Amino acid sequence: MKEIYLDNAATSWPKPESVIKAMNNYFHKIGGSSGRSGHRRAIEAGRIILNARSAAAGLLGVSDDSGLIFTSNATTALNTVIKGIFHSDADISSSHIVATTMEHNSVLRPVNSLKNKGLEVTLIDGDEFGQVSPEKIRSAIRENTKLVVVTHASNVCGTVNDIESIGTLCAEKSIPLLVDGAQSAGLLPINISSLSIDYFACAGHKGLLGPQGTGILYVKNKDTLYPVIAGGTGSLSDSVEQPDFMPDKFESGTPNIIGIAGLAEGCRYLLTHGVESIYKHDKKLLDIFLNELSDVSGIKLYGMKSSVNHTAVLSINIEGMDSSLVGTLLEERYGVQTRIGLHCAPLAHRTLGSFPHGTVRFSWGWANSEREIIKAAAAVKKINSISRNSK
Amino acid sequence: MKLSGRKPSLKINSLVGLDGVVTFFGAHHALKGEKLLSLEGLPVKLIPGPREISPNCGTALRFEYKDKDVVETIFNEKKVNFEQIVFYPA
Repeated sequence: MKEIYLDNAATSWPKPESVIKAMNNYFHKIGGSSGRSGHRRAIEAGRIILNARSAAAGLLGVSDDSGLIFTSNATTALNTVIKGIFHSDADISSSHIVATTMEHNSVLRPVNSLKNKGLEVTLIDGDEFGQVSPEKIRSAIRENTKLVVVTHASNVCGTVNDIESIGTLCAEKSIPLLVDGAQSAGLLPINISSLSIDYFACAGHKGLLGPQGTGILYVKNKDTLYPVIAGGTGSLSDSVEQPDFMPDKFESGTPNIIGIAGLAEGCRYLLTHGVESIYKHDKKLLDIFLNELSDVSGIKLYGMKSSVNHTAVLSINIEGMDSSLVGTLLEERYGVQTRIGLHCAPLAHRTLGSFPHGTVRFSWGWANSEREIIKAAAAVKKINSISRNSK
Repeated sequence: MKLSGRKPSLKINSLVGLDGVVTFFGAHHALKGEKLLSLEGLPVKLIPGPREISPNCGTALRFEYKDKDVVETIFNEKKVNFEQIVFYPA
């Protein structure tokens, strides 16, 4: 039985061949540590990082590539901002943050840990489709609000938030905005420099098609964040003070050079083919999925009911069946690999009405075909009809 | 081992003519600087930063000092942050 991988929102697979080649090339022919020495291997490693930063900046629409930080994943990037703003006890106890119920635990958990230390927290509810109203964010902002955090696209249902409007209203009130782009980078065209976004965090191993252990953080103004992680940078080695310049301020320790070599090629693949064309491909597959599964008795779809403001993610449930059983049947009988459960986003599931049982999440990507989506949808319908007939 | 009798030399052939050095605060800018100047066709070479000039960066950039003004213009235009440019024959 041929496998159909539909768990790209967890991590994308397969990766372009060029990603694997670049990683092989680094280990076989380069192998040095970037920015640490002047020999050939170190300099070539440095060039990998430089070119990766430049490719990522091109892809995300960032005009100054030194504003991009390589991290180990989106979670680290998000924590760098949240804990970098709310750093001292005084900052924490006197400040307020606005986030949403559609956030992943990579936002909710650091926010909650700060709440336990005295930070005031307002969580804006998403609507029944999982979308967050910019107006609700506007009215939640207080005098002591220091940060607004919004997910660009939900990892549970794929619903896209209006980060342009949210950015504009935050800028009007001079409140910095952190966008969680874990589920949007490489999937939705974006030009960060043209938006009012202060920080943008994303994974390198999802839509950007790089390997696991890579992530990116865009920081508009380095002076707004305390560097939570400090250490060796290869620069200012005569001093024990953390460098205050970018990107070194937030890039301590030897980076994941082999991973970044792969990430650079993932970004180049997207630059060559165009995020717009990937988006259109994903949208076509979403339309097929929606067409096949909408209005089928016994199948419930979550999130947006059309492909507008909707990424390559679809969450469903089959009436009367545990999502875990559906997921197991999908793989065992039809080879369809999905992710079931709560997707590290408990409050999003509450908002969508799927807590605590969770959903079956399908997420596709550049390498999936229409045929695969038709097969997956047929498998869902088959399981649904077996379930209904057995009642 | 028999010595050849030739006077030992510390001359590094690849650096001949590259009598200027740019130092940077961080490696990102050193590498970006090298890339930009190479694209302009200027002869350059990344080297471990000479300690007597600056302790700041592990990587510095050698170039022909006569190109100093061009180098400065390119770096300022392309936002390459450098520490200093010095005449420093190899």
